[in-house]
Parts: sequence; C-alpha cells; structure tokens
Amino acid sequence: MPATTAAAEKLLLQMVDDYTQREISPYDMSMDAAQDFPKGFVDKLTKTGFLGIMLPQEFGGAGFGPEVTATVLNHIARGNASTAVTLEGHFKTIDQILKYGTPALQQALLPTANDRIFAFSMTEASGGSNPMGISSTATREGDHWVINGDKIMITNGGLAQVYCVLVKTAPTELSVFVVDQDMPGFSFGKREDFIGLRGTPVGEIVMDHIVVDNDHLLGKLGDGGVIGDSAHDDARILMGAVLTGIMEHELKISTDYAKERKAGNTPLTELQVTHRKVADIAMRKETTKLLYQRAAQLKAAGQPYSEEAAMAKAHGSRAAVSAGDDALQILAGYGYSREYPVEHLIRDARAMEIAEGTVEKMRSAIAKAEFTK
Amino acid sequence: MKIVVCLKQVPETNDVTIDPVTHNLDRRGLAGVMNPFDKNAIELALNLKDSRDDVQVVLLTMGPDDYAESLREGMAMGADEGVLLSDRAFAGADTLATGYVLAQAVKKIGDADLILFGRQAVDADTGQVGPIVAEFLHQPQITYAANLRLSGANEVTAERLLEDTKQTLVAQLPAVVSVRSELNTPRYPTPRNIQLSFNKPLTTWHHDDLDLDDSRLGQAGSPTIVTKVYAPEPVKRALTPLTGTPNEAASQLITALKQRQLI
Repeated sequence: MPATTAAAEKLLLQMVDDYTQREISPYDMSMDAAQDFPKGFVDKLTKTGFLGIMLPQEFGGAGFGPEVTATVLNHIARGNASTAVTLEGHFKTIDQILKYGTPALQQALLPTANDRIFAFSMTEASGGSNPMGISSTATREGDHWVINGDKIMITNGGLAQVYCVLVKTAPTELSVFVVDQDMPGFSFGKREDFIGLRGTPVGEIVMDHIVVDNDHLLGKLGDGGVIGDSAHDDARILMGAVLTGIMEHELKISTDYAKERKAGNTPLTELQVTHRKVADIAMRKETTKLLYQRAAQLKAAGQPYSEEAAMAKAHGSRAAVSAGDDALQILAGYGYSREYPVEHLIRDARAMEIAEGTVEKMRSAIAKAEFTK
Repeated sequence: MKIVVCLKQVPETNDVTIDPVTHNLDRRGLAGVMNPFDKNAIELALNLKDSRDDVQVVLLTMGPDDYAESLREGMAMGADEGVLLSDRAFAGADTLATGYVLAQAVKKIGDADLILFGRQAVDADTGQVGPIVAEFLHQPQITYAANLRLSGANEVTAERLLEDTKQTLVAQLPAVVSVRSELNTPRYPTPRNIQLSFNKPLTTWHHDDLDLDDSRLGQAGSPTIVTKVYAPEPVKRALTPLTGTPNEAASQLITALKQRQLI
C-alpha cells in the first residue's frame, strides 16, 4: 500500500472516530426513542462529506475503496448502528449505478450523491425474497418507460431522494430503473415502525405513471435479478462491518460494567461466568470482523465475494444478537433496562438477520456455493 | 493575503512520563495529535479564506517527522500548504528557542500578514510561543482573541477575553494573534479533502535551510531549567448528602448555599 494511501486512511479513521464520538454517539439512545435522526443530523453528516466516502473522485467523492468504506461503517456503528445502516443503504445503491449505469446516467446522477441520499428498493407487499413475485412494472411507451408500482420496507425510504427500483419489464423479466423523488408521479407512503435500527427511516414509495428515458435503466433489460443480487452482496459486506461495530459496543459496555461491579464481594471480572460471556462476545466480534474484511478484500481485488459477503452477514447478525444477550446477562437488571443501550443493540442487530436477505437465504447461498466446489 | 498558522503536535494521551534528566515531558514513542486549540487558529484562517479570494493559508510546525501528520490534517481542513521544521539541532528547545526558529521560518516563508496561534498547547500549557514569535518579528501581538475581524486594508480588530473583562484591540498588519477556543468551532476534514490534501505541498526545512544563530537553538539555546515536576495532591472534598423529602432537601441546599454566600 502506498504511504500516502495508508496516511489518508489513518487520517480518515481519526476523523470518523472524532466525529462519531462528538456528533453521533450522544444521540444513540435518543434516536431509538424518537424513531428518527435528530434535526440537522443528516445535514451535518452530509456537509462533512460522509455520503461521498466511496464515490470516485471524478464524481466529487473521496474515492476510498471497499475495505476502508466498510471499516468506516464499523467505526460509526460503535457509536450508532442506524447512522451506519443509512450510509450502507446509500453506498450499495451508488455501487450499482457505478457497475451498471450508463456514462450519461453516472455523469448526471453521481455528483449529486455527495449531497443526496440514494436507496435501492426491491421489496413489495407480495414478497421480499421472491423477486419474481413483484408487481411493479415499467412499460415502454415510444422512447420512454412508464413505471407503476409500490415499494415497501426501503432502507432510507422517505429520507432518500434517488431510488433504484426493481420492476418487471415483461412477465418474467426483471429490470432496474432509477427514479427521483422530484419526478411527477412519485410519492412517499408510510414509514415502518420497526423495533430496531429506529434512527434509520424505512418506508414506502409509490410510483404512479413515472416517465423516464432509457438512460435510467441500469444494465440491460432483464438484468434486474443480477443487479439485485449485486446490491445484496455489497450491502452484506457493509452489514458485517456494522454488526462488528455493534459487538464492539456490546463488548465495551460489558467490560466497563464488569470492571465496576461486584457480585457479593467478588468483582465480576474474577467470575468464570463473566469470563465465558466476555470471551464469547470477543470471539464473535473478531470472527465477524475477519469475515467482512475478507469479503471487502476480495471485492477490492476484483474477485468473487458473494459467498464471503453472505457469511459476514449470516454469521455476524446471529453473533451480534447472541453477544447482546450475553452483554444483557452480564448487566442483569440494568441490561434489561432501557436506561442502558444493550437492549436496543440487540434489537438493532436482529434487523440484520432479515434485511438484505434472511439468514436462511444466506445459508442456502453459502451451501450452493460449496456444492459447486 | 498570506496567513501563517503555527501549530504543535501533542501526545494523544495524558499518560506521559517525565525525562529524569531534563525534567521535560518525554514524548518519545507516544502517538501524537494536533493540539486542539490550534484547530481554532486554523478555523479562523479558513474562515478568512472562505470570505475572500486572495487568502493563502500556510501551516508551520517544528518537531520530528511524524509532526507532518498534524500538518496534513490541517491541510485536509483546507489549508494550502505545510512547512515542517525538523532537525536534531532543534531538539530540546524551550519556548524561547522554539519561538526563535519559528520566527526565522516565518521570515523565510515571507510576506505573512497574519501569524496565528492557538491559545496554548495542552501538553505544556505555557501559551508563550506566540508572544515570543511576535517579539522576534518585531510585530504587534494580540493574545487570547475571542473575536477577530479584518477592520481595514491593513488592520485587524480583536476582542480579548480575559478573566473578568473584555478588551478590544486594533493592530496594524502584519501581526501575531493567539486565539481562544470560544472563537469558533473547528471544521472536520472531509473525506474528499483528506484525499486531496496529499496533493498539496508539504515542505520540510532543516537547519541549513534557515538563517539561524546556533547559540539560540535546542537545549543549549533554552534558558528554561525545569527543576522539579510533580503531580499535585488531589484535593479531597467533603460530600454532604441531602436527605429527607424533596422539600427538606431543597431547604438544606438553600441553607448550604447561603452559608457559603453563594446566594
């Protein structure tokens, strides 16, 4: 690695840690209760350049690679997972426009990704993990496409201004188009009342006769399944990073508490039951970290990373829930209280056993990849 | 307009040791960060740069090679270039010897209209280097500025925030100003500017690059003698709990405050 690259990464993480400590962590508890980011929170994040971390410099971004981008989300999630997940949803969408967008679309859209949040939407009321079950359509009319449909449970839905949407362009043909909230026919629906990651808005968009030109198609007609899988893969690496951050948070709460607390006259740090739990949290954290970093390294090297990304998410999400459970038990009554963050960390982690493909689907994908070897 | 901001890299931790011979802080092997107060000086310079087209911001520091990291951070905040003064001959300098070398470097940079400092460094807490540089440069100085504006083509007006009073001073440029942290909130370096900062010039000047009187350098040029360094005994404070009902506790609090003549 060139010396300047290493120095830039060090300076970036120093800034991220400083920003997280001063501007993000203080709101971790309140945004869970308020079910939103605080006023001005996203504007400040945007102004400080977080939206452009992985966007190439030619589009006005910082151009950091997959490994650094994932590490940044890992560090942010130590302070608050919702903030990291909002960036994850934005970055995975940018990734698909970089991979599949035409040069004209990239030139038109990507410079705005420094100031506007992007989102990728697949799920509909008829199903999430079964893309062929969707009913949204894009119909060609002359030189244009007309999009109709209703997308739900979109990470950053309602907050994002640009959406990649999976639609049917024929009864058995899936394609992805890019739409903008300013387009006629675009409107927002309801926001989900989820139990975890409550700072991040997850909501619905309604598309009623939105007209776009052919440049708004990602890839070719029929590429929707491939692009959807690609978005999942990119998201799963970043989720592994977020989950690592959650476990680092759980570990810190557990060890800080154990160092202060006694059971009778015995410090918790001297009890084997504490040792077992703390060691398990630490091992889960470290294995998830190795998995997401491995997947990010493969992505940076241009090699296949789908299986490793699935492992990072499938392993990391259950690991973070279990680690949270151990942390809660170490803190006992305090862990079960809303006054301490452990309970909301468990709820935050639990979301990632479902989002971006269920862990059951991950295991099928991993097993199928192994059968082909 | 050229603004030179002098900064210092300080240990990241409070867990520093004392050199048994010199009684100075032993900074060897400690990770460093930019002195937090110096970020207020950089922010002031960048605000002036944002407000007009002709401002060039040069960062200046003296120390080992790794002090370049703080220069780079300041350049990522938005400064145009950095100059590192690094030479074995500068090692062991007290505030006087440091101020001398910085002043000679400011002369070499040339045409500086404003030389800015943070109010003090958090490791040694002297706040002396800014005033010393002003004296070596024979320039007016304003310390502890909590407010500053360019009040004329060649003039700066600053409000000094002192312990129990405020003082407004006007100085002709070029001038040396040290700023208080109340002045502003330093910006974060953006990820993009972090990357771009590595395209900006960072120059290292050694002993022979400057016009220096060797008798003023390093340990030999430092009249300060630290005879003893010790941690003060922690002050033990009595804790009086407020008891009873909320009304009774409030009465006890009011009585205690009156006894201390605080209300």
